[in-house]
Amino acid sequence: MTRSKLILRCVVLFYIAALIGVPLIFVFQQAFLHGFGAFFSALHDPAMDHAMLLTALVAVVAVPLNVIFGVGASLWIVRHPSRFTRALDTVIDVPLAISPIIVGLVLELVYAQGGWFGAGLAKLGRHVMFSFPGIVMASIFVSLPLVSRQVIPLLREIGDHQEQTASTLGAGPVRIFFSITLRSITWAAAYGVSLTLARVIGEYGAVLIVSGNIALVTQTLTLNIGANFDNFNNYQGFVGAVLLALSSIVLLLILGVARHRERKRDEYLA
Amino acid sequence: MLAAPHKQTQAEGAKLPPATGRQFRDVRAASKLSRGAAKGLAITYLSLIVLIPLAALMTNAFNKGLGSFWTAVTQTESIDALRLTLLCAFVASAINAVAGLATAWVLVRDRFAGQAIVNALIDLPFALPTVVAGVTFYTLYGPLSPFHVNITGTWIGVTVAIMFVTLPFTVRSVQPVLESLTFNAESAAATLGASPARIFRTITLPALMPALLTGTGLAFARAIGEYGSVVFISNNLPYRSEVASSYIYSLAVSDQTNSAASVAVALLIIALILLIFFNVTAQRLAKRRA
Repeated sequence: MTRSKLILRCVVLFYIAALIGVPLIFVFQQAFLHGFGAFFSALHDPAMDHAMLLTALVAVVAVPLNVIFGVGASLWIVRHPSRFTRALDTVIDVPLAISPIIVGLVLELVYAQGGWFGAGLAKLGRHVMFSFPGIVMASIFVSLPLVSRQVIPLLREIGDHQEQTASTLGAGPVRIFFSITLRSITWAAAYGVSLTLARVIGEYGAVLIVSGNIALVTQTLTLNIGANFDNFNNYQGFVGAVLLALSSIVLLLILGVARHRERKRDEYLA
Repeated sequence: MLAAPHKQTQAEGAKLPPATGRQFRDVRAASKLSRGAAKGLAITYLSLIVLIPLAALMTNAFNKGLGSFWTAVTQTESIDALRLTLLCAFVASAINAVAGLATAWVLVRDRFAGQAIVNALIDLPFALPTVVAGVTFYTLYGPLSPFHVNITGTWIGVTVAIMFVTLPFTVRSVQPVLESLTFNAESAAATLGASPARIFRTITLPALMPALLTGTGLAFARAIGEYGSVVFISNNLPYRSEVASSYIYSLAVSDQTNSAASVAVALLIIALILLIFFNVTAQRLAKRRA
């Protein structure tokens, strides 16, 4: 028994190391191949810096919108159940089953020049495709359910007893939301927010179609990395890749803390 | 939206005798109005970004008739891309079903130094951008490979990339179920003389099966649409190593939007059927156990 346990442990550790560990270490090894000096001077690549800024801007707009929508929709689905919210519950999860390339394609079908709304928007002087709003919409689409999937099960579990109590004691809806509802879903929502942020920062396929991938204009950091590889500029690509890998490691740490806090809450309740 | 949690009391309030003071009525009307506005905003948001674009996809796939939809989907290049996608998704999720089960078991039932780090590493494919995984696998196992292994342009390369991105799905769906499993039945079987292998086969595995199926279904759905991690290592050779999402991309950028929409709809239908199949089977298994 102990022996087979040991063998299984080794096999699993080998699998994780080969599939996840080696690639992770390899990214860092490649980026620091020419030393720290080369790495820091590569950070001053104008195309990459612009791409970083754009990715940050997209995240600043898309993530809060999706968090507000996610929390609001979760409350609606859990607290006002009806046939309509059951449908909404299913529809919200649809983006997870759709290929990012298809996400880009469907947005193009509506908002590009020849699309449903494209011509009308162009007449108003507005362009969604191949510009900032399109990138934001694609990012919102792919990360839409990530908050509500964390918050809905928790809201179902905790029920609304505390809220009713607060209400009978004379608290208004705003006060109830901020001091009871929001407080009890904080860590689940934080988990969802980090997943959303990771997805928005890392999106490639959907953004590739809607942005047009123009360097220094609509190129996000992921697109910049891809373009560097297409142009055989692998080193610069790995420098960008390390930045994204670092940001995802930070997000993983936040995810770990959020999950730990959630478990603590469970233990406290039990 | 902020007023949403207040519904319960609102409903009870409605059953009470009609409220007197005019002020009270005003507050209730205002709360109802803001809640309605919030719902309207949520639906508009969902429609503009998800629902209307999906409707446009359906329209574009079928607006030239079923015949043209079928022609686009049954092009040799399209069939080859769909077949390769399904093959790689199937192999990768089958391997990860076994590997994910083993990983979850080791993480829950085993204790060793550095376990927390391994546990955290499992989530990395969720957090790491697909393009980073894509370029890394391309460099690791491509023409410049430090191991002198070149699997670019083959179905094996595509499968390896998909294995990376889908590993967390199986592990993270099995792990919590395994954690909540009590040892009672397993200990009883052991005292009655059952071998560890038999205990696992007849007691532990059946309890984990629904979660394992759900996780594998999610992995499969993700694998079918994967793009960023696959596109570099696959080299996108038509008829050979081009996955469905890559084929749709090439149609979309060459302005063959109707064909792109048709293949996209075919891919969505396949993903939907598989998701339903995995969920229904998982639910049936769970019900049979209960």
